[in-house]
Amino acid sequence: MAKILIPTALRQFTEQSDAVEVSGATVGEALAALTARYPEVKKNLFNDQGKLRSFVNVYVNDEDIRYMDKTDTKLEGHETLSIVPSIAGGSTAVEEQAPPLTNDEIARFSRHLILPEVGMQGQTKLKNAKVAMIGAGGLGAPLGLYLAAAGVGRIGLVDFDVVDVSNLQRQVIHGTSDIGRKKLDSAADRMKEINPNIRIDKFDTGLSSENAFDILRDYDIVVDGTDNFPTRYLVNDACVLLKKPNVYGSIFRFEGQATVFAYEDGPCYRCLYPEPPPPGLVPSCAEGGVLGILPGIIGVIQATEAVKLILGIGDTLKGRLLLYDALGMKFRELKLRRDKDCPVCGDHPTVTKLIDYQQFCGIKPMSNQPAPADSAVIDALELKQKIDRGDKFVLLDVREPHEYQIARIPGSILIPLGDLPKRLNELDKNADIVAQCKSGGRSQKAMDLLKQNGFQHVRNMTGGITAWSDKVDPSVPKY
Amino acid sequence: MIQIEAKPWQTMVLHAERLYPNECCGAMLGHTQGTDKLVTEAVPLENSFSGKQNDRYELKPEDLLAADKAARARGLDLIGIFHSHPDCDAYFSETDLKNSCPWYSFVVLSIQNGKFDHANSFLPDLDQTAAEPEEMKWPKS
Repeated sequence: MAKILIPTALRQFTEQSDAVEVSGATVGEALAALTARYPEVKKNLFNDQGKLRSFVNVYVNDEDIRYMDKTDTKLEGHETLSIVPSIAGGSTAVEEQAPPLTNDEIARFSRHLILPEVGMQGQTKLKNAKVAMIGAGGLGAPLGLYLAAAGVGRIGLVDFDVVDVSNLQRQVIHGTSDIGRKKLDSAADRMKEINPNIRIDKFDTGLSSENAFDILRDYDIVVDGTDNFPTRYLVNDACVLLKKPNVYGSIFRFEGQATVFAYEDGPCYRCLYPEPPPPGLVPSCAEGGVLGILPGIIGVIQATEAVKLILGIGDTLKGRLLLYDALGMKFRELKLRRDKDCPVCGDHPTVTKLIDYQQFCGIKPMSNQPAPADSAVIDALELKQKIDRGDKFVLLDVREPHEYQIARIPGSILIPLGDLPKRLNELDKNADIVAQCKSGGRSQKAMDLLKQNGFQHVRNMTGGITAWSDKVDPSVPKY
Repeated sequence: MIQIEAKPWQTMVLHAERLYPNECCGAMLGHTQGTDKLVTEAVPLENSFSGKQNDRYELKPEDLLAADKAARARGLDLIGIFHSHPDCDAYFSETDLKNSCPWYSFVVLSIQNGKFDHANSFLPDLDQTAAEPEEMKWPKS
């Protein structure tokens, strides 16, 4: 005889017995004997087709019969059988399971609820919506604030950066006391402060080809607040392949763009820009500067489009590239069409999985870059020693005049990189020259140019004036 | 009706808050009389879901088997399963329903910003198509 232990809930069908002795040569026969004696137990263990219900696991002593011969598992007659359900779950909201708005939420969103275009139905859609925000910087700041305030129920934040003082001129989701904190934490705190009812998923990482699908899969809409081309192409391709709308925005100095890519039959980013610009051609905000208010305008346009997509109202920017010029204070619009030859969203796509976007954008991985010969570089401390020794040399600052006004290293002369080709004659080909810029990028180009033109003794100052401020003279401001 | 005593309730809330922002899970032991249940002990169990656990949980059947054995050894019944919903209401989601079982009470704790907010108990049906709310009492309610 084998002993079957009866779960509490089934004892009402076994005359309150917590264990029943049955005979049977296999697990199946033992269970059949049990259900023959107590017919009510049968429908708890077996479905209408006579198969064990999906949640029912049977253990012989401590072994799961799924890993033996299932119900054909042989019994010798002295085993103990346990019936154990498999249980799992999770809070993941399912559309038809929309939790109703609470009274607090009704009060909070009253100005939305009285708009017939939104109403209870629309606000519930917002509550059930899942939006992934790539980047918690300039564009991410207004996006995070307004999506949280609007009641978007679940917001995924992807960012690996920390708040720097130079961010605060535009990234209004962060404050002075947040300097040095992770942008994720700072942004999430502010968003929760605005609307404690939302759920924020923090992804403390850069978006990559390896993690993009896993991160973005759970969301309905992706909002691109990135500041670089590889990630922009990555977000685009991931959205096309996952069939999720990509609410796009970008900013540069005084101008911005916004549109909705990869939505319905509309175009994607690659339809607009099949090829990335050569590396270094388009400066980043850190290099080119940006009007602090600009990402506010563009980010709010992106937030508006995201909310319209969730609500299903109005005309989206699908197929229209909105251009904004802050100096002229003008909006313009370009028509965009899906390119049927687009490599990712065209009729015969050639890009069917995520690729190496650094390589695609012509950016070589750091490890493959040959380390510059020692003689070709000089760091801030070495430069300081050189100056202190009284060496005769030229410290050539290749930044722009307005940067030179902000900060300079004493003794430097200014020839902006763009002017250098026509001003080479101002420099002595045999002089000892150290090229310097803000962080070492432009001065590297200057050094290359000088060497090509026969200058013998040129070195690049690594880290630029920023490193000088960090390591030598903190009184020199960083910008 | 399910009633939870102070000690197990504290165990459940602490376990849920400690695992925030992930979902926690565990078993509730106690006494049953008809449809009246009294939870006298809570056993935190491992969330064995492989993947992000901020909105999923899974119980290892072995753990449940062990909890059931422990209950029997002390003359208690395995009454129910508890789990948490981090930054989410204490509702019975589709995922919860599809992976539930009609034999137990399912208590869901809503943890908002790392702190316990509210809780509900549910009784799923045999075919896992619906779950009805179960009246629930816990300390200070």
